[in-house]
Amino acid sequence: MKRLASKIGAAFAFASLAALGAQAADVPGVTDNEIKVGTFGPLTGPVYIYGKLTMNGVEVYFNKLNEKGGIHGRKLVLVREDDLCKPEGAIAAVKKLVYEHKVFAIIGGGCSNPTLAARPEIEKAGVPFHVFAAVADGIVDPPVANIYTTQLTASIESQAQIQWALDRGAKKLAIIAQHDAWGRSRYEPMLLDLKQRGLQAVADEEVTVDQNDGTAQALRLKSSGADAVMLLGYPKAAAVVIRDSIKIGYKPLWIGQTAIQDLPALQGLIGIDGALANFVSITTIPGHPDNPQYAEWRKLLKDTFPNDELSVFNLMGVAAAEVFGKVVEAAGRDLTREKLLGAYDTIDNFKSSVYPGPITCKGGHKCNQSPAFVKLDNNSVVFAGTVALK
Amino acid sequence: MLMFSYLMATGITTGAFYALVALGIVIVYKSTQVVNLAHGELFMVGGMLAYTCYVMAGIPYLPSLILAVAGAFLVGILTERIAYRSVLKHGLASVLVATIGVSFVLKGIGRYIWGGKGDYLAFPPIISPEPLQFGNIMIMSQQLVVLLAGIVVMGALAIFFRRTRAGKWMQATASNPKAAMLCGLRIDRIYMYTFAVGAAVAGAAGVLMAPLTHLYPDVGFVLFIKGMAAAVLGGLTSIPGAVLGGLLLGLAEQLSAGYLHSSIQDVVAFLVIMFALIFLPTGLLGARGLRKV
Repeated sequence: MKRLASKIGAAFAFASLAALGAQAADVPGVTDNEIKVGTFGPLTGPVYIYGKLTMNGVEVYFNKLNEKGGIHGRKLVLVREDDLCKPEGAIAAVKKLVYEHKVFAIIGGGCSNPTLAARPEIEKAGVPFHVFAAVADGIVDPPVANIYTTQLTASIESQAQIQWALDRGAKKLAIIAQHDAWGRSRYEPMLLDLKQRGLQAVADEEVTVDQNDGTAQALRLKSSGADAVMLLGYPKAAAVVIRDSIKIGYKPLWIGQTAIQDLPALQGLIGIDGALANFVSITTIPGHPDNPQYAEWRKLLKDTFPNDELSVFNLMGVAAAEVFGKVVEAAGRDLTREKLLGAYDTIDNFKSSVYPGPITCKGGHKCNQSPAFVKLDNNSVVFAGTVALK
Repeated sequence: MLMFSYLMATGITTGAFYALVALGIVIVYKSTQVVNLAHGELFMVGGMLAYTCYVMAGIPYLPSLILAVAGAFLVGILTERIAYRSVLKHGLASVLVATIGVSFVLKGIGRYIWGGKGDYLAFPPIISPEPLQFGNIMIMSQQLVVLLAGIVVMGALAIFFRRTRAGKWMQATASNPKAAMLCGLRIDRIYMYTFAVGAAVAGAAGVLMAPLTHLYPDVGFVLFIKGMAAAVLGGLTSIPGAVLGGLLLGLAEQLSAGYLHSSIQDVVAFLVIMFALIFLPTGLLGARGLRKV
């Protein structure tokens, strides 16, 4: 009788374990000891930094979690796919991650346009998607249940740039923008916001990503009399315009955005002392990657990727992975995609170790609504202030 | 008037950039009839090698420049030996495709070696970064360096082609490869040195312009397009034509961006290529294909 009872007990225990195993097996990418997370973005091509370096940041954070035993006993495994920063590449990458690698969730999206193109595929697959770098509003707007972003979106940044200028008493605003897909995702919301405020830019100039001289743009801005210029460009474009403005003696208030938040690097590109005296920029991180507060990430990055110097892109990956890890933890051991998406609602006023402001996914899918500004002071990046968006 | 002066001065200094790039393209085309589509990447390699020597290793500027130019020369030899020589016998189209392949390989190598250090690598100015005053306008001192270097390189190349035996061999090979071979010239070796000299000029341009263009693995493409537009406008076989084409392109870009709109600036190079191909197929100073009898 005793032997029969122990056999029944063993069978019951086995059945329970099998049921648990079956439950884990039913959830794509989740096993008893592993969670497979996909990522996509450019690993090669001209803008590989938005993908490769950000992914390196994600991996560094996952490694840190894994060394402490993972989340609820499961280690996070990152599966990378290269989208070449092309729409067709992103669609193929998402399909491969979902149907071939069978990942549980995706944390990625290096470029805005390709991520926008992949949105319908992500929506259809129902895979949870956490945006780590792309800024186009259309990725999360209109919101869908399975897509969240912790990156500041383009429209939030554009509104913040205008607000910063107005808060400083600027009377004549000008825009200088790249008119590629990235630039337009910021430029169009900026025009819309100006219109809603009953304002019009006194100059609206174009600059290209590979610009080597900005004299013509600087002359046109100067002749417009603009006292504040919103810069919607990458670092090189911004550097040549500011450099050539200094050359012609034009010194307005320059207001940048997160693509040019690495102020020492921008100063280095301009190469003229004091060039950023009238410059502020929106920031993803409230300092510079070289600051002592990021020493831990610098070391962890070097341990895994010896060729990388810690950059804003790495830290963007770390920051997104930190929030993502928090969400996975909140979803519990009994992990499903539905529980993970439900757990985003628990992220309320979360103080990240990297983002300058609190992160709140409760009640919205744009989790980062806190644009902060930095400026250069004695060659150090310092916090310049925030704006209240209307 | 002040605006016009600034636009003219900037047009000339920007044009000197394009002329330097165009010179390398013309050298290779003049001797081999091949447009080296990897020329922009050789520019990048030169700049990156100089960055490695000057910024990373702390070697003084002049030795860094020499090492970078020598490195680019070597890359020119290697690309010819590995990628171009074996396909030369299949015709120019094959070599053209090979140059595209080399362009991608060099970009990939650039990304692998120098790609993890941020988006743009800042190359410190060789001389004071402060603008210099000329009359009532200011000019960036580094732009003047490029302008002077362009003049020096053009002069050196003119002497090389007119006064040296190697230069004359290259011209003879370009003019009639079969006749050159019958005269005992080893045209495969001449082609190799032609690609190497073209690469060295690209490397020198890369080093000189790095403080203004800054460095990243894809820096070469746009400059190649501008250099190509300058070369086509001036005449693909003419060294003075490359310089003239570069200067005209620089002026056209600046004046159109200043007086019409800045959105036109980047389109001008493509308009120049189209205009030259339709109305001046041999360029302003290129060989007309006619001989006096």
